[in-house]
Amino acid sequence: MSTKVVLFGLDGATYTVLDDLVRRGVMPYLGSFMERGVRASLMSTIPHLTPPAWTTLVTGRSPGVHGVTNFLQYQSPDSPYVRVISSREICCETIWSMVGRSGGRAGSLNFIAHAPAQKVNGYTLPGWVPWRWVKKHSYPADLVSRLQTDLTGFDLKELAMDFSEEEKAIAGATHEDYTPWIDLHIRRELQWFNVLKHQMVNDPCALTGVVFDGVDKLQHLLWQYLDPSCEPKHPSEEFLRTREHCWDYFRQLDGFLKEIVELAGPQACVVIVSDHGFTGTEEILYINTWLEQEGFLTWAPDAEVAPADSQELGDGKPIHLTSFDTTKTKAFASSASSNGIHIPVAGVRGDAGIAPNEYESFREELIHALLTRCVDPQTGEPIITNVWKREEIFAGPRMNLAPDLTVGLRDSGFFSVFRGDTVLKRRPVVMGCHHPEGVFLATGRGVRQGVRLAPLHLLDIAPTLLYAMGLAVPKDLEGAACVEAWVDEHVEAHPVTFNGSTIIPPHVETAATEDAPYDEEGDAQVMMRLRALGYIE
Amino acid sequence: MQNLDRSVIRTDLLKILDELRDDWEFSGEVTEESGLFTQLEFESIDAVALGSALEDHYNQSLPFAEFLTKAAERKAADIKVGELVDFLTSHLRNGEGERA
Repeated sequence: MSTKVVLFGLDGATYTVLDDLVRRGVMPYLGSFMERGVRASLMSTIPHLTPPAWTTLVTGRSPGVHGVTNFLQYQSPDSPYVRVISSREICCETIWSMVGRSGGRAGSLNFIAHAPAQKVNGYTLPGWVPWRWVKKHSYPADLVSRLQTDLTGFDLKELAMDFSEEEKAIAGATHEDYTPWIDLHIRRELQWFNVLKHQMVNDPCALTGVVFDGVDKLQHLLWQYLDPSCEPKHPSEEFLRTREHCWDYFRQLDGFLKEIVELAGPQACVVIVSDHGFTGTEEILYINTWLEQEGFLTWAPDAEVAPADSQELGDGKPIHLTSFDTTKTKAFASSASSNGIHIPVAGVRGDAGIAPNEYESFREELIHALLTRCVDPQTGEPIITNVWKREEIFAGPRMNLAPDLTVGLRDSGFFSVFRGDTVLKRRPVVMGCHHPEGVFLATGRGVRQGVRLAPLHLLDIAPTLLYAMGLAVPKDLEGAACVEAWVDEHVEAHPVTFNGSTIIPPHVETAATEDAPYDEEGDAQVMMRLRALGYIE
Repeated sequence: MQNLDRSVIRTDLLKILDELRDDWEFSGEVTEESGLFTQLEFESIDAVALGSALEDHYNQSLPFAEFLTKAAERKAADIKVGELVDFLTSHLRNGEGERA
């Protein structure tokens, strides 16, 4: 059995929105896709965040094993040095490589942490790359040049993530910003779609994967227009106009799906996945302000207070260790996106911090405080519903790169790391935030029709894709092939086979550990750009 | 461990920067005196991408953010290509899997 597979990634897609768009006729093809195939909830990583989630999906390994825990993370377990993730952070074999080792070609488009592109039997056009660097960071080296020559309308600036434009659109967040924000993503997705189509025709692969990330971007800013539960009883003209424009984006996406399924052909398997789901958030928890009130954190004298009208997930200036008095701080959060809390231990990443022999008892004290004393002042209800120790969610050789604690909030959202003038603030308008439950949909030869499956995990996707292609599954993948998606006759004729293990990427063995001290100001400008994406504060 | 020769690194870096020029709409000559931000019109994220490109080229992790940090500390208006060559010369280790 050899089946071509298309992985149709929708960053942040949720049934909350997709089912509504199908019901209203905005995405009719998706509706028929659902009827012809299987669907399941797809549970994300903890935290439910783009870099660890997509990397888990493409490696079949968990974050503590593959090594990607956040957008920015410690370079090594004993270094205070923080770097922006790149393909070098992925310490496990990707599915593109697994397919290549089996003799098949694999193409990936717009996946995070894939730059600089690693050598594969196929092609890689990575996502999250500034336009000037797309050509340099793609594989093979002449991929972009060929697209520029062969693909009419190909535009690097429109294709790539323009960090300046993203920042403008997010930072504004007024009605006037909505139209250009939506248009930006309509144009960008069209670029990726045209590349996808071009590659499927001219360089067909056993596995072709693409991520359309505008779903996430629109939902962050425009959740109130997309979540049917937010629809006013008497919607204004502005509401209807903006929602219609949002729907234009999804209509286009529906058309993409139709064309790609038809292009892939009736024998192919098409799998739709999201890295996480989405929901709405109406509040902001200023976690460092709470830590300060509890005596765990001391701000530096010149640490600025967040603007009173701050409402965006990524609004404001990045937070640095220099914002804290490190001699008096026992716990702090530096990145909103990870919901992670760091406990500095003396002698690990510098001299400051609690004594090593106090770590366990302090961590327990902090967990208890987070769960019982971080409460809504109006209702007394806990704001933090879960606290995970590092070893509980990042188990593996890269565990020590992750925060000491990771919290889950009652609205599934991300906390703010700003210095707030209060611990909890209501947002003026509901914003979209990540949710752990994403989507899995599939159609193809032998795939059941109209069946709802039990929830899957991102870890299950790599073995499922390999199974769909008729390839053996490496024994060390952590998830399982979802054979329940196929009819019994198919599974009996094509049982899951296993062989060998994954290989370690070439860059891992020689990756050096830096001993250089980290001064937090260094990544300031980088984080100022990343905050435009709604994750970094 | 022996460091790579400065002239080799300089050639590598200029080649990488030169490869960008077609799409960058930068027509001037790139030299050691060229400023990344003022003349090559880098944004911060471009500097990160350059760091990744260099790590990939030499197949080594580099303390690139530290390099940017020190530039910020001395309130440098820009970073010249030559400064980056010096940084790489002092940090790159010879024979650790440079890529073709």
